[in-house]
Amino acid sequence: MAEQELVEIEIDGKKLQVKPGSMIIEAADDADIKIPRFCYHKKLSIAANCRMCLVDVEKANKPLPACATPIMPGMVVRTQSKEALVAQRAVMEFLLINHPLDCPICDQGGECELQDVAMGYGKSVSRYTEGKRSVKDKDIGSLVATDMTRCILCTRCVRFGQEVIGLPELGATGRGEHTEIGTYIEKSLTSEMSGNIIDLCPVGALTSKPFRFKARAWELEQGTSVAPHDCVGSNIYVHRHRDKVMRVVPKDDESINECWISDRDRFSYEGLYHEDRLTQPMIKKEGAWQVVDWQEALTFAVDGLKKVIDDNTAAQLAAVASPNSTVEEHYLLQKLVRGLGSHNIDHRLRQTDFSDQLATPVSAGLPISIEAIETQEQILLIGSDVQREQPIVGHRIRRAYLRGTNVCVINPMDYHFNFDVKEKIIVSPSTMLQELAAVTKAVLDQTQNTRHGKVADLLKQVTVSDSHQRMAKQLLGAGDKVVLLGAHGLNHLHSSQIKLLANTLSQAISGQCGYLTEGANATGASLAGAIPHRCAANLGVAKSGLDAKQIWQSQLKAFILLNLEPEYDCADPQMALASLQQANFVVSLSPYMTSTMKDYANVILPVCPFAETSGTFVNIENKWQSFAAAAAPQGEARPGWKVLRVLGNLFEQEGFDYTVSTEVRDELKVAVDGMTMTQTNQDHIPSTLNFSANVDLERIAYPPIYRTDNLVRRGESLQRSGIAEAAAVHLSANTATQMNLADCEQVTVKQNGQHVNLPLHVDGRVPDNCVYIPSGFAETAMLGVTSPAALTLERS
Amino acid sequence: MNDVKEKSALSQPAREEIDKWVAKYPEDKAQSAVIPALHIAQKYNQGSLTDSIIESVADYLGIPKIAAFEVATFYSMYELKPVGRHKMGLCKSISCMLMGADELGDHLQKKLGIKFGETTPDGKVTLKEVECLGACRHAPVVHMHNRYYESLTPEKADELIEGLE
Amino acid sequence: MNRIKHWVKSFTLWELLLGLKLTGRYLFKRKITIQFPEEKTPVSNRFRGLHALRRYANGEERCIACKLCEAVCPALAITIDAEPRDDGSRRTTRYEIDLFKCIYCGFCEESCPVDSIVETDIMHYHFENRGENIMSKPMLLAIGDKYEDDIAKAREQDAPYR
Repeated sequence: MAEQELVEIEIDGKKLQVKPGSMIIEAADDADIKIPRFCYHKKLSIAANCRMCLVDVEKANKPLPACATPIMPGMVVRTQSKEALVAQRAVMEFLLINHPLDCPICDQGGECELQDVAMGYGKSVSRYTEGKRSVKDKDIGSLVATDMTRCILCTRCVRFGQEVIGLPELGATGRGEHTEIGTYIEKSLTSEMSGNIIDLCPVGALTSKPFRFKARAWELEQGTSVAPHDCVGSNIYVHRHRDKVMRVVPKDDESINECWISDRDRFSYEGLYHEDRLTQPMIKKEGAWQVVDWQEALTFAVDGLKKVIDDNTAAQLAAVASPNSTVEEHYLLQKLVRGLGSHNIDHRLRQTDFSDQLATPVSAGLPISIEAIETQEQILLIGSDVQREQPIVGHRIRRAYLRGTNVCVINPMDYHFNFDVKEKIIVSPSTMLQELAAVTKAVLDQTQNTRHGKVADLLKQVTVSDSHQRMAKQLLGAGDKVVLLGAHGLNHLHSSQIKLLANTLSQAISGQCGYLTEGANATGASLAGAIPHRCAANLGVAKSGLDAKQIWQSQLKAFILLNLEPEYDCADPQMALASLQQANFVVSLSPYMTSTMKDYANVILPVCPFAETSGTFVNIENKWQSFAAAAAPQGEARPGWKVLRVLGNLFEQEGFDYTVSTEVRDELKVAVDGMTMTQTNQDHIPSTLNFSANVDLERIAYPPIYRTDNLVRRGESLQRSGIAEAAAVHLSANTATQMNLADCEQVTVKQNGQHVNLPLHVDGRVPDNCVYIPSGFAETAMLGVTSPAALTLERS
Repeated sequence: MNDVKEKSALSQPAREEIDKWVAKYPEDKAQSAVIPALHIAQKYNQGSLTDSIIESVADYLGIPKIAAFEVATFYSMYELKPVGRHKMGLCKSISCMLMGADELGDHLQKKLGIKFGETTPDGKVTLKEVECLGACRHAPVVHMHNRYYESLTPEKADELIEGLE
Repeated sequence: MNRIKHWVKSFTLWELLLGLKLTGRYLFKRKITIQFPEEKTPVSNRFRGLHALRRYANGEERCIACKLCEAVCPALAITIDAEPRDDGSRRTTRYEIDLFKCIYCGFCEESCPVDSIVETDIMHYHFENRGENIMSKPMLLAIGDKYEDDIAKAREQDAPYR
């Protein structure tokens, strides 16, 4: 697009060069001229219904709304002239007619746009003596509190629902004085980003329910941080009061999260104060748990580990870390374990196929920037519920879709997205590979591409149908293209083959291939060396250690766990727990203590969760974002990097003399900046593709949005919100009828001699011959996530 | 979200009638038919709408439910509570007011034993206030069953009510 | 001349008599000594003494946990924690005033939108143990309950000037 010529206008005597067609308010905002407003928001469409931004435009016969008046060359605007001020004051008076004067009990008090503007434009005494309007409050779920009497009908929340999240749930019902904002029929909001309406609301009509009445805006101290739940790394502000985190709000970053954050990032802080929080080190002596001081706990841990290593070999030690740990923690953990002589370390907890790990690049994320997702013309999602897994990426895809991008999906479940899908293939997890192979073949055929000979050989037997041809044709359309692999692809039973095909496909359509990795810091963990086949910064190892799957299979003698709850976080919780229980010595660095942890661990060292520790997350676009601790640690809990540092000292290892976490980061960053990456996925080509499922009933397992990690699982308001899922068995109507279960409310699930009773839901999203049983719940913890072991359903 | 289709509260004839209106608009603009569709739905449900009917209309047109609720609550000709067999709308605008609509209104309320916006207990008459009906020259006016009853006096109104089934 | 005047004055003890004149005058005047603690001096209705939290006539506490007093307090003597009560209303779970920090400026009373925190005319109080200087919410409410009549009367007297 050619650069448009700028036009000159004048606002308050200031000459400005602005884009023609933009609105007066945008030009004023850019020039830092303040115009009061309520309904205008830079990320939403223009409604011009509050009239607060009326300004005086020369040659116009009445004041015009600055938000809806396009700029014309030579326009002269006065925002502070007598006419403008009279108009603004009059609007303010009307707005205040029905607004209650309950600022002292309103949570918005102190950070309220209406309050601020009323200070400037309002009169101290109202001329209005009639009764004020009052509106019944609505219950719209556990996250957003409503006081609809305070609503000034700016409709920001309504437009946010329609435009940004594509879920028009709120609306303006009634007319005139009886207009109300609400869902009409009371129900919980069902968006993963609904919390943003709290920030959007210029008054106190929509406020945060978990934060309700807990603190005032002016007594909060603000710390910046990075959201710890998904690979996007949304920028956030953590607000604390007397060293307790009171709330989390977004920090604007146009290149990542704009001004939005997901509800998971906003409300998970509640988990910091869950009753499971461990605030003192504990050790198990002769089967009894006792609270001890750090010195004793650390010595006990070191002695225990030393004994195992001395009695056996260092190879009997393994470390498993959650991908939500910081770069510093991952780096020190691998340094410690490697220093002790073991390469058994991993963070890829739900992955089960590691056969291509030597061939893949060390940090596989998104080859394009998050912002650039919006400018892609073709997007293919493979095995991804992107809207729930990475809400911000989902939002970017929706923006792309609104621009006209075609989105295609190959998924094991028919996920509901807030963008329309052009072509979709919904099949069981095992068939996904076959379908992807067919689409790849169709693309290779259509382009007569011969560069991928080896892969093409593998695809010889694949039959291509019309739907594959259609999708291939779509993907070969014009413009930038990206193939995105989600959790169902990366954690697939044959993920190496999925990745191979996805890469081949993306190259054949001359696009890019991106991985939407799990957790907040999977990229950082790989770079830091928390993987068995590479040291930090991609340095090779003589012999790879055990990967996450082998670690649990190998009956090792000693474990160090970081931020881990294996019963929820691992691909096969049963195997992980059994492995930990037979071990001689288990050190768990965890912010929480669970009953299972008491069972298998020998030492539990309380480390600080998100917000209480400093650290760095590396997001999928390889952006390093460091943050300081936003609140003081609770009790005796200490940041994980400090604990690991002291463990290093106690093992008398070299190079553990850091004083601040940035030293750890800088040491790694220097190494990473100098590293080389040569391997590509093309090197790893299997002899055959595994198309068939080896079980009759395939389980689809994935933790739902609010069960993904130890912090969010303890966010109580999130657990009660509209989109929180419960442990249940989901079957398609066909399969339920075939299995003669259609009329059941409860079924018994059996696998590996374990059984559990769960409610049954007939769910149109699930393909036939599959069963969706979410992981991340205590009820489903005994079932293998991607375990091939047969799973049966029975009436209970 | 479950794709299980809920049982629609719209009857077959109502759907057919709505289809005629939908056909008048461009293919992807079914939303434009929401006003006639709600009128039709109301007609087939003894003159009033229920929440489930409004939702069914929204589903049938493929628009968000809240969009249908917004329309149904905005216009006063959609009834959100059950109405009587005869819906009387008394004009309260300026001409009728000057010609005695207030007195007539008081009389009607007394005669029927209900207030504006209410329905007689036997389900016979619903009394409403409406804005200008455009029949000022024969004020005051009552609108009922798509007919105007003009130049009404309390006596004429009594006759009118007594003549109702 | 001055020297003679001075000489005469010193012989007649003139200055002394002048002083005794004042003493003599007060000797026969009405006495104003107050027999404290049996008797007390009158106190202005604007006197700012010990704090109290008031209730409405129906027994509901007035305080709505708006925290304006906490914000306005120049000595940072007030500490408040708030949470929704079971009925959903905004209430304090902790309301403490440190009387060692308090400078009795009266800003808290001035800022209170519901006339909940007040400074009574009580000035005779003392502490015997460490920690007693912290007035907790039940203590403040108890003072309010006990002296509500006096508090209400003092506010009423002052109302025309506000």
